[in-house]
Amino acid sequence: MKIFHSIKSAVLRTMNLWKGGLIIWISSFLLVSLLAMPIKGAMNSGFGKSMITEKLVDGLNFEVFADMGTAFKTIMSFFSVGLFMIVLVGFILNAFFTGGVFNRLKGSSGKFSAGEFFSASAKNFWSFLIISLIISLIILVLAFFVIGIPLAIVGQSDNSPEGVLFRTGIIVISIYFLLLTILLLVADYARAFQVTMDKNLCFKAIGFGFSQTFNTFLSSLPLMIILLLVQLSFGWLVLKILPGMRPANGSGVFYMFLLSQMLFFLKIMLKIWRYGSVTSLMEINTLRDNTSEISSESDF
Amino acid sequence: MRKSLLILFVIFVTVTPAKSQIVNKIPLSIRQTGYRIEATLDPSSKTVTGKMDAFWVNKSTDLVPDIQLHLYMNAFRNNKTTMSTESGGLSGYKDADSGWIDIKSFTDRYGKDLTPGMQFISPDDGNLNDLTVLKIVLPQAVKPGDTVFIKVNFVTKLPGKIKRTGYKDDFFFVAQWFPKFGVYESVGMRYSTKGAWNCHQFHANSEFYSNHSVYDVKITVPKEYAVGTGGILISEVTPDVNGKNKILIYRAEDIVDFAWTAWPGYVVYTDQWEHVKITLLLPKERTDQVDRQFKAVKIALEYFARNVGKYPWPYLTIVDPPAKGIGAAGMEYTTIFTSESFTGVPSWYHLPEMVTIHEFGHAYFMGILASNEFEEPWLDEGVNSFWEERIMGQYYGESEGMFDHPWLKIGDKSMSRLSYINSIGRQVVSNNEYSWNYPHGTYGMMSYNKAATWLYTLMGIIGEETTNDVFREYYKKWAFRHPSGNDFVNIVNEVVKQKYGGKFGPDMNWFFSQTLYGTGICDYKVVNFYNNKLYLSDKKVNKTDSLNTIKTGSDSLYKSVVELERAGDVMLPVDVLVHFKNGEGIHESWDGKGRFKDFTYTGASKIEWVKIDPEFKIRMDVNYINNSMTEEPDRVPVRRITDKLISFMQFFISFISL
Repeated sequence: MKIFHSIKSAVLRTMNLWKGGLIIWISSFLLVSLLAMPIKGAMNSGFGKSMITEKLVDGLNFEVFADMGTAFKTIMSFFSVGLFMIVLVGFILNAFFTGGVFNRLKGSSGKFSAGEFFSASAKNFWSFLIISLIISLIILVLAFFVIGIPLAIVGQSDNSPEGVLFRTGIIVISIYFLLLTILLLVADYARAFQVTMDKNLCFKAIGFGFSQTFNTFLSSLPLMIILLLVQLSFGWLVLKILPGMRPANGSGVFYMFLLSQMLFFLKIMLKIWRYGSVTSLMEINTLRDNTSEISSESDF
Repeated sequence: MRKSLLILFVIFVTVTPAKSQIVNKIPLSIRQTGYRIEATLDPSSKTVTGKMDAFWVNKSTDLVPDIQLHLYMNAFRNNKTTMSTESGGLSGYKDADSGWIDIKSFTDRYGKDLTPGMQFISPDDGNLNDLTVLKIVLPQAVKPGDTVFIKVNFVTKLPGKIKRTGYKDDFFFVAQWFPKFGVYESVGMRYSTKGAWNCHQFHANSEFYSNHSVYDVKITVPKEYAVGTGGILISEVTPDVNGKNKILIYRAEDIVDFAWTAWPGYVVYTDQWEHVKITLLLPKERTDQVDRQFKAVKIALEYFARNVGKYPWPYLTIVDPPAKGIGAAGMEYTTIFTSESFTGVPSWYHLPEMVTIHEFGHAYFMGILASNEFEEPWLDEGVNSFWEERIMGQYYGESEGMFDHPWLKIGDKSMSRLSYINSIGRQVVSNNEYSWNYPHGTYGMMSYNKAATWLYTLMGIIGEETTNDVFREYYKKWAFRHPSGNDFVNIVNEVVKQKYGGKFGPDMNWFFSQTLYGTGICDYKVVNFYNNKLYLSDKKVNKTDSLNTIKTGSDSLYKSVVELERAGDVMLPVDVLVHFKNGEGIHESWDGKGRFKDFTYTGASKIEWVKIDPEFKIRMDVNYINNSMTEEPDRVPVRRITDKLISFMQFFISFISL
């Protein structure tokens, strides 16, 4: 019951935060455009007045890019360096905006104010960045230990029977996703806790995240699984729609662009919904704890 | 001739076991060599103990003082063999991993010891540590028409790190395992100016050049092992007197090598294509790939039969080795070959199909048309890759033959061209080198990819049906013989002349001198085109212009010029398509010899775009981008790619941010 109440409550809170989602979308678009636009220019310059782009009508054609020769290598080199930078900045920017989002989600129902949003983002930035970094680091280390090492051992073993690598892969990835769910709960609880504090207490917040996750494991885990399943379904839908789209004219490309950006905006809102659901569940559980504390005190 | 037939008859009676049947009613080859081998696999010591009776007939007019045999398993003896050094050393090799072949006795048919005349030679590189070629000086030279019979007892230890051949636990792939005759080339055969043995050492990148032979092979293995061979099963005794083993008797005719595999884990499937019984051995975890494998090989059988010649044997064995035997994957032994796959290989990734079609193709290019892989690898791997790419393109898609995923599509022939045009070593050497002489790691790119690319280019020039005719004629004339590159070129010249007369000149040597024997690159480009409006005083037609039409009654008249350039060294005839704004197009032919070429037109319409080689027939062209030019290039695909890139990055950043 708590789970569905949290989910429902989060839907309302998310809808109240659509302007925040818009801010995140715009900043994300501007950020990736910093890399995408020069690449577009380089491709146009590489193809010049050639009609070879006809061969790209049906999708990516590696022969066409390979014929660019050194120009292609330059583009790829620029892209790989640029992608690293953009991902890094994107990660930081996301940590920044999440502060505003969580702050807004903590039960407030007033009118959205961009100033308040940015102010909360700035206030919580360092805490949120550290929380994100630490949890991301744990996720990476876990990937190494849970996926990397078992697969490496099985892969290196000459004696393992046919198909063991494949089966091991499925098992370790399943385990990893379960652990990932728990770590996402920790991160979300930590951030939901942090915005209730006046000071930056990121380590205390992470501690709270862990304790809250495991203290309310039976309600938190199903909630996160539901949320992630919805997000995965959405991700599957996006993968089904976008990569296969190959509009052949300008207006078609424009509509594809609009659709892709709408889908991305939805993705942002789904993430906010996840934050909102965890925040709401935390509030319910905290309220219950307080009530039981009061009732226990009254018992005395 | 009668003498030869008599010899063959004697050989048949002598060598063929009484109960064995003949695979083909009429011999396909002259059967200059033959082998009867009794082999026993000992899984614990990883050895094959063999007793071999073999013959070689001196078909030349020479008095031949010696015989030469391949002892290729010795390539795995240590880190100093030619194969090891060419492979950059066999890393992690322990003594237990080594492979070798020991001759226990070597006599003539009467039991006379021939070992005093034995010596190891290294004709390719003089490497004294390489014991892969054995020369036996005979007590008496072999007269023309005479036959040498030998009896050899040998023990072959299989290598523990499988490289084409070897073992892993209870998996065995047994190839290059017995002493095998080299090829005695008499004067006039291929490039021989005097009779001599052509018996190369075992190299990292080549291993085939042998006579078509008859094989009677008796294999003893533990009874739980499933066995696949390049022969047809004549009889099976299970178990033998010990109750532990089974004895399998196989016969193979007119093949250049005999290989076999044994593993208890194989599941065996059979299928039929016309006269060919197909046997497939693969691990039980891959049974979902059975249909894929059968489909691929049937496609190849059908395509080759239609466009080259009949697959003459009534059987074929495909082996899809288990993961632990992956070192044996992707190898060809004419009537048995190994494919390559893995458990759960997705249906959009056509690796198993590609490998199966490629390795099957070697039944033709090396098996039936037994060229010398050591000296002319392009005639084996290059020609075969060309056919593999054609089949993959035809049946699995020109643009998606290799990867056919909604997000990524790559054609098989595209991969080949990309490998060639992107290689920094594409001009370092010609395509006509011995396999071990390709410098800077260019063997694969040159032998497979460049050769396949220029063969596609040849097809672009002479047409698909003429190309098929070339190969039909090549098959007709050279099946079960030893063609050289020159022989192939001569066939091309004959067929093209027959089809086109003098259209391409007296012969096609101009093509081969640039592609096969040359190192130049091909690059044609459109430098520019422009349209100048003519004023009244200029409105007269220049007789030298490549004028097509003048629209009468039109208000405007233009002089339009197309400027083309040959940026590479290779000169090939190319088509040029000039398109005008009024929708008309002019097809021009340029012999491609000059460094530049201009086409001038006077007419009512302006040029809109120009394309050199509009159908992409000249696949050797290293840059297709500069092959066309338009006033208004289509930027939509680039916009689409950019927009998708933006979305991809947005989703990716959002995904990795908590």
